Amino acid sequence: MRQLLFTLRTAVSSPTRNARTATVLGRLLGALFLVCLLTGLYSHFLQEPAAWMRFPTRPTWLYQVSQGVHITAGIACIPLLLGKLWAVFPQLFQYPLVRHPVQLLERASIALFVASSLLQLVTGLLNTYQWYPWPFPFKQVHFALSFVIIGSLAVHIAVKLPLITRYWRARDSYDERGVFVEPDGALDPARAEHTATRELAALRGRQEARVASRRRPAPESPAPAPAARASTPAPGLRGLVGRVARWIDTAREGDGEPARVRVSRRGFLGAIGVATGGVVALTAGQSFAVLSPLNAFGPRQAGLGPNDLPINRTAAAAKVLETAMDPDWQLTVSNGSRSRAFTAADLEGMTQGDERLPISCVEGWSQTASWRGVRLVDLMALVGAPADARLKMTSLEERGGYRVMLMGPEYATDPATLVALELNGERLDIEHGYPARIIAPGRPGVLQTKWLSTIEVVR
Amino acid sequence: MTAPGVPASTGRGVRVARAVLVVVGVLLIALGGYVLTQTVRPNRYGGLLVWLIGSVIVHDAILAPLVAGVSLVVRRAGRRVRPAVLAIVQTAVVVGAILSIVVVPEIIAKARGTKNDTVLPFDYGARLGVMWLVIAVLTALVATAWVMLARRREARR
Repeated sequence: MRQLLFTLRTAVSSPTRNARTATVLGRLLGALFLVCLLTGLYSHFLQEPAAWMRFPTRPTWLYQVSQGVHITAGIACIPLLLGKLWAVFPQLFQYPLVRHPVQLLERASIALFVASSLLQLVTGLLNTYQWYPWPFPFKQVHFALSFVIIGSLAVHIAVKLPLITRYWRARDSYDERGVFVEPDGALDPARAEHTATRELAALRGRQEARVASRRRPAPESPAPAPAARASTPAPGLRGLVGRVARWIDTAREGDGEPARVRVSRRGFLGAIGVATGGVVALTAGQSFAVLSPLNAFGPRQAGLGPNDLPINRTAAAAKVLETAMDPDWQLTVSNGSRSRAFTAADLEGMTQGDERLPISCVEGWSQTASWRGVRLVDLMALVGAPADARLKMTSLEERGGYRVMLMGPEYATDPATLVALELNGERLDIEHGYPARIIAPGRPGVLQTKWLSTIEVVR
Repeated sequence: MTAPGVPASTGRGVRVARAVLVVVGVLLIALGGYVLTQTVRPNRYGGLLVWLIGSVIVHDAILAPLVAGVSLVVRRAGRRVRPAVLAIVQTAVVVGAILSIVVVPEIIAKARGTKNDTVLPFDYGARLGVMWLVIAVLTALVATAWVMLARRREARR
């Protein structure tokens, strides 16, 4: 077993796979995970607010940007996570598998972290393609896993903190020739972090000594003499694998040359960097208009659809093809016992407001459009709604998770919130909510209720 | 007494930071578990577990060994190739492979049918092919330029 693990570990080792590259990719990935958590929580509470919660309605593009960042950062995590896992892959074949309680905690937290991160990215990506091949609900699991991921990330950072600080800076990680400075006992990771901290302290001490003696440059020893390696002597590779490994290693005598190692390391980080830039550049156009010309692989394209705007739920799926086209359609607005009904012609005859507001989907795509319709504040004034009123709006849809929508007073009293009748200069298409839909600044698309039927004041 | 090989934290700051991180981390994991029990029906846990373990197996047992194998072969095959050119080619392959990982599920999702025409509106298969072509051309250009510059540099010496 030990021989097998050692063989595997050696076979997959490479100069690019060291604690420094793991630190470089890990801190980027950690930052992006945190961005995804915060933007995700914002989106979650917009949709399921606690009673006391109020949200900003300005800037009107706040949710458009926060959710665009959520999806784009998640996509950027895919190459970064694969690169990070590549950098630490040899650690999978440690021997013994578990040596110490801390190491058990480490391995358990990593297993949980890797599993939940991989699943989170896979399901998140496929959700933007609206493909759900798994046997569990996406939204609930995505939400629960986000805490598990950040929690196991915190444990992982705690375990690795000495190594992370040891290799935080490039100048502490490589010697003058650019060769990685191994943590002592590299083949014995349980010990590595212990020695790494000591080494860092020694390195700091040497640097300080160097600064102190800068006036009189003394002949320095190029690298610290490696202390006695771990108690396990490195067994050579035997058998077929060993032969294959030797065949590969003898291919280039200069494989261990610092210059080659440097090129290989920079090539690796460069590849991950270009891949990250590539996936972002070629998909983020669905969320950010600036990148729209590069949008080769985004699942949505701005400007495409009825009224030049993409749609999600169709009128057919919502089963409103008949009710929405009914000439007797009325919008009922009520405040307690005061109630008024408006026909489409009534609404068209009222003072119209024009707004440029984005439709921003939780799936990340968004598009800013021109809306025209009756300002909600004008409508609510006709039934004497109070300024702190919360509203309940109902769609013509017979069923569906978003048939009934609750709206906090911050949106209800915002003059930009419209009962929209026109979109991009034309009468609202039935796919976009004909005869009337709500459009409010800074809310997710699922809360911009289409095919409006009633608006009620709730207390 | 500290046993040999036991990771000993140095400094109060590191000890405190690690303790805080572990406590916060464990609490967050517990919160995630609690949220899961409150929102997902127990008969779904089995499927979730299978997918969690499956994603690790797909990566650690299939994807990673495949990449390691390819890189070993490239190391052997690349004996007459300049290291920089090797790095350029490897970058191209990595970029293409990762973009393919993102786009192939998109092709499948589109083939399975979408809710309406504005979802997945492009021909992603054709676009992926064009992308590989562009990557190949760019790689050839960059590698050729690199070799020419390097030869000129060497000739000057």
